[in-house]
Parts: sequence; C-alpha cells; structure tokens
Amino acid sequence: MTTLLASTKDAPPRPRVARLLERLADPSERVQAILLLAPAALLLGLIVVYPIAKLVYNSFFDLRLSGGQRAPFVAFDNYQSALTDSQFWNALWNTALFTIITVIGALIIGLALALLANLPFRRKWPVRLALLLPWAMPLAFAGLIFAWFFNTDYGVVNDWLMRIGLAPRQWLLSPGTAFAAVCIAIIWKSSSFIGLILLAGLQMIPRSLYEAAEVDGATRFQQFREITLPLLAPSMIVALIFRTITALQTFDIPYTMTKGGPARATETLAMLIHSTTIDYGDIGYGSTLAVLMFIVSMAVTALYLRRIQRD
Amino acid sequence: MGKLSCFAAIIVGWSAMAALPLAHGETVLRVFAGGSQQRTDLARKMFDAFEKQNPGVKITLESGGATSELQRQYLSTLLGAKDSSLDVLILDIINPAQYYAAGWIEPLDRYLGAKDAKSYMSQYLPAYATADVIDNKIVALPDFADAMFLYYRKDLLDKYGVKPPATWDDLATESEKIQKGENNPNLQGLSFQGAPIEGAVCTFLLPYWSQGKDYQKGVPLDKKAAVTGLDMWLGMVDKGVAKKNIAEVKTGDTVNEFMAGNVVFAINWGFAWDLFQSDPHSKVKGNVGVATLPAMRGGQSATCIGGWQWSVSAFSKNKAEAARLVKFMSSPDVSKFMAINGSLLPVYAKVYSDPDVLKANPWYDFALPVVESAKSRPVSERYAEVSDVVRTQTSAALAGVTKPEATVDEIDNRLRRVMR
Repeated sequence: MTTLLASTKDAPPRPRVARLLERLADPSERVQAILLLAPAALLLGLIVVYPIAKLVYNSFFDLRLSGGQRAPFVAFDNYQSALTDSQFWNALWNTALFTIITVIGALIIGLALALLANLPFRRKWPVRLALLLPWAMPLAFAGLIFAWFFNTDYGVVNDWLMRIGLAPRQWLLSPGTAFAAVCIAIIWKSSSFIGLILLAGLQMIPRSLYEAAEVDGATRFQQFREITLPLLAPSMIVALIFRTITALQTFDIPYTMTKGGPARATETLAMLIHSTTIDYGDIGYGSTLAVLMFIVSMAVTALYLRRIQRD
Repeated sequence: MGKLSCFAAIIVGWSAMAALPLAHGETVLRVFAGGSQQRTDLARKMFDAFEKQNPGVKITLESGGATSELQRQYLSTLLGAKDSSLDVLILDIINPAQYYAAGWIEPLDRYLGAKDAKSYMSQYLPAYATADVIDNKIVALPDFADAMFLYYRKDLLDKYGVKPPATWDDLATESEKIQKGENNPNLQGLSFQGAPIEGAVCTFLLPYWSQGKDYQKGVPLDKKAAVTGLDMWLGMVDKGVAKKNIAEVKTGDTVNEFMAGNVVFAINWGFAWDLFQSDPHSKVKGNVGVATLPAMRGGQSATCIGGWQWSVSAFSKNKAEAARLVKFMSSPDVSKFMAINGSLLPVYAKVYSDPDVLKANPWYDFALPVVESAKSRPVSERYAEVSDVVRTQTSAALAGVTKPEATVDEIDNRLRRVMR
C-alpha cells in the first residue's frame, strides 16, 4: 500500500516538471506540485488504500451482519479458524488446480488459435471475429451456456455421446467430471484472450527470419521451435501473468455452472469469500479469507514480476 | 479532473432524477415483489387497486430472482449497503428472523396500531405468528401461505387401480407398477427437488420430520433418523422411481416435467396447482390429484411450511405509506384474490372455506389442516448458513458423491455452533 502511494508521488516527474522544479527551487512551486498531486493521491487513497486497510482491520473482528450484536475484537481468531477450516483448504486447492490446468490449457489452445489466425487468409476479419467472440462474452453467460451443454437431460454433450452410441453421463453431478467441465468452459473462455496477445506477438516477428530459415533448409517445425517460440516468449509471459492473476480470482464460471457443487468440488476461494460475506453476512471471517487470498495473489504476482525483471 | 467532473455530473443527475417524482407531490413506493413463482402479475393487479384507492401513491414493481436464494442474495447486497431504493420487500418465510436481526426491516406495530403482537397476529394461520414476530415485534405480514403437497396423475392411478399412497414405500411400489405397465422410459415415478436450492432443505427434512424428529435451535439433529431419511430418497433413485440425476432437479423442473405428462407423483408447493390446471402448455389438465405427503413407515405425514411475507425496508423514506401497502396486501380480500387466481394458499383460515375459493381449488377442503400442522425449517438469524450447508450436502448425497452417514455428520458438524 505504501509503495503504491509512494510511486504515485514519484510518478509525475515528467521531465519538464522536474526541470522546472530544479530551475525554480521556489517553495511555492513545491506547494503547487503537492496541490496538483493531492487529488490523484486522495482518490487512490480513497479507492485503493482505504478499502484494503479496512479489509485488514475487519479481519480482526467477529463482525456479522446477521445480528445486532457488538463486533468484538478477536485478534487472530479468524485466521486460526481459516487455517484449520477444511473448506478453506478445499477452496484453495481447487483454485490452485483451476489455475494450473486452465492457464496451461488456455496457453496451448491460445497459441494454436494465434498460429491459425496468423495464416495468410484472404479475408482476415472473420477469423479475428471468431477469435474475439468468446473473449467479448460476459463470463456469467459463458458459465450458463456451458451448464446447459453439460446438462444431463437437455445437454448437447450427452446428445453427441448418445449419437455415437455411448451412454450419457451426469457431468455436473460427480466431482471429477464437474471439475473437468468447468475447466473446459474456462479454457474456452480465456484462450481467445491469450490468442489475441500471441497474435500481436506473432505479427511482430519479421518475415525475413522465416525466409532466411527456409533458404537454410529448416523444416516448418524447426522454424517454429527456433524462431517463433523464442521470439514469442515475451508475449507469452505477458499473457501468462494476466491470465494467472485472473485465474486466481475464478468465480463467475463455476458459480453459474455448478454453484461450487457437487459437495464443494468446484468451489474456489473467491466463491467461498462471496458466500461467507454476502450470503452468511459474516464480514469478519470473509475479510480474513479475502486477506489470505490477497496474500496468495500478491505472492504469485511478485514471483512473475521478479521473473520479468530478470529477463 | 475531467473524469471527476463527469462523475460529479452523473451524481447530480441521479439525485435530480430521484427527486423528480417528489416535485409532482406524489409518493412513489418501490416494491420488490419476487419472481414469477410469487406471481408478480397478480401482485401488480393488487397494486393497481391500491393506487386507485390511494390517489397520490404510485407503485413501481421490481421483480427478479427465480429462486429464494437468488432473491436473498440480491436483497442482502442491497440492504447490506443500507440502500433506500426499495420501500417494500417480499420475503420468503425463512428470512424475517435474519433481516430483523440485521436491522434491515422495520417493526410494523406502530403503523398497524397493534398493541400486542401476538393478539394482532392471531387473525392469521399460526405459523405466521411464529415466523413474522421476532422479539415480540411484528416485522412482516404474510402474503400467501404455502406447504408441500403430493401431486399425482389421477388418470394413471385410476387406470392401475391404486390409491394415493400413505407411505413412501407404498409410493415406490405403486409407481413401479405404473411405470412397468406404461412401459415409457420417459415416465418418472416421482419427481422432487434434489438440486442444491432452498427446496432441498425441505427434501432433507420431510422424511426426518415424518419420523417424529425436529431440528431447531437447542433441538440437535437426530443423526440416525436423518440417515434413514436420505436412504429413503436414495432408494427411490435405485429403484428407478426417481430419475438418476435427481440432484439436478429444481422446483421449476418438477413443475415442467409433471406438466408435460412425464411424472406420476410430484412433490411441490401449492402454487403448482394453478400451473397444472391453467397453464396453456399443461398436458395434464383435469387429471391432477392432490394429497398430503406420504409418511415414513410407522410415522406421521409431515410437510414443510412455506409462504411469502411483505415487509417494510428499514431504509425506506416512506415507511408509513409502505406499511399501509403491506397491510393492504395482507388483507383477507387480497388473500382471496390470490387464492382464486393463482392457487396461492390463503393466510386466513376462513378463506379456505370460501365458496369461490373452493370452486377454483377443490382440494383446499383438506389443505387447511395440512398447512396448519406444517413444520418450519430451523428458525435462525443465521439461516443462510443453515440452508447452504443442508442443501449442498443433501444434493451431494442424492448425487451419490457422499454417503448418507458422512453427509449427516458434515451437516451436524458444520451447524453445531449455529444451532446451539
């Protein structure tokens, strides 16, 4: 939080302003600078720092909306409950699993889509549109659509199975298949985003490299491995970062598809926080869970950022 | 700064819009009237009547949330933010306790001129004096009553010479006979609610109550009876009486499948009668029978009390007017109108024997004692948690994901603190 504030204070050293400040070491100028920065700092404080601070503060109280009682200070009780709560570990595990599977899945499918869209089509827009469509669709929509796909009685997936002579399955009613179905929906939804970023990356690779490789007699696969992949790596890292951070917050698709069921097999951390705070009105414990999730996603983000800085 | 001034302009615009109706010297009451199962179409007609009687009052109806949980979620978000944009709210019978404890709904005694809550509520069916009176204050008034009934296909039962079943075992036997005779793979013997929705809480409790047990604060869960109850439902699935994916079935699915003629016996609420008899898509018109729910062997028939309440938001700026509307919507005349036009069960005992009401709903002759003796789900200001745990676990057990014993242990463990 403090780093955020500090960076906004340092941020505007637009060269001109800095030079101006240096030239006129006039205290009134400094006051002016502070005045000019104050609204931005205030706004950030109001919408970023204050809510996060309040969240952390709330996590130390037994604060409930369900009763008119006082909210006693309970120190780390909420944290202790969370760390011994099987539901928390279950949600954390599900979130991690969703993240790993869907990020890798979306990266592979997204790469394939980008390579496909990069082929020299005569008309480019239908391909681009097809690539964009899943991305443009609201998450909750995608969840509902896939819930119908996998419905036992009316779903198209069971219809296909029966057409090729296989027995229909109860996709969303058993933990394994429900989890797989949610993963498929998330990968479908998110691979177009990765595809778009990678497509932009692909188009920045100069054609001359491929021409030179062809002259040297490299096969298509060698070209892909030696030219495309290394030059695409920066775009891939960017796509991975964005995708991982959103995957850690997975909520909409499992919420609309399975409501976290059966028996919490597809419940993510974000869903647990939602049901604790919004449904149960247990603000204190919900805040604790949110702080824990914040720590997890900060840790993952920091890991990625360090990786980028090293590159 | 451009963004800020734009933001400011929007806020000014909003407040101007909100102030607009006041400029005309008119009170606007904003009412959340639930989803289609609460028959917002009928409520609108009654609002029109109220507007006519009260010039200067305009009522805008907001509807939404197909299920009780979705409505609760919407209202919790809105009221948790102390939002004043709704004046009157419709609440499922399970919610007034929590909403009052949270300070979201206004006690109505003052507006109703009620000196004593209990004696004021004695005009209604007894269940509502319990559900709507908290801490000796009237916090809501009932709109319509509800309870679960057994709907059956009269034509099919007659064809095979069987009577409406008295026990769940009888139901299974009869239904196997009919399913075998009809030889129609799409014909389900019994449809009930197994999806993790509010109705599944009743599904869990019906066979449990039928064994003479109760589950309330201070009355702990009898685990053995609860397991026996779940085993009964699973037996229905094993025998092919209920369909395999019963854990996906919601209230509306049961209604639609029964209406399409694909179900012999269905467990559903009172409002379903009107749909079976007068919905243009119904293929079972004139062939529908209603009975009390079967019992466990050696037990008593038990059903789940439901129904919807009108209440005034604690954040409303027109509380007096809002309370008048609530009183109107909970009057015998409105109760009669709802019963005739929507088969929504009356909250006044005398309306059940009204000749016009009986003409539209001949089965009301036995409905009154059923509603009067219906059991209530655990009453708690933390009901949202109770419901979530019970319905999620029940649905998982019906899907075969968890064993009945493990399911009941989980419910008991999770709720022990809440139900103490």
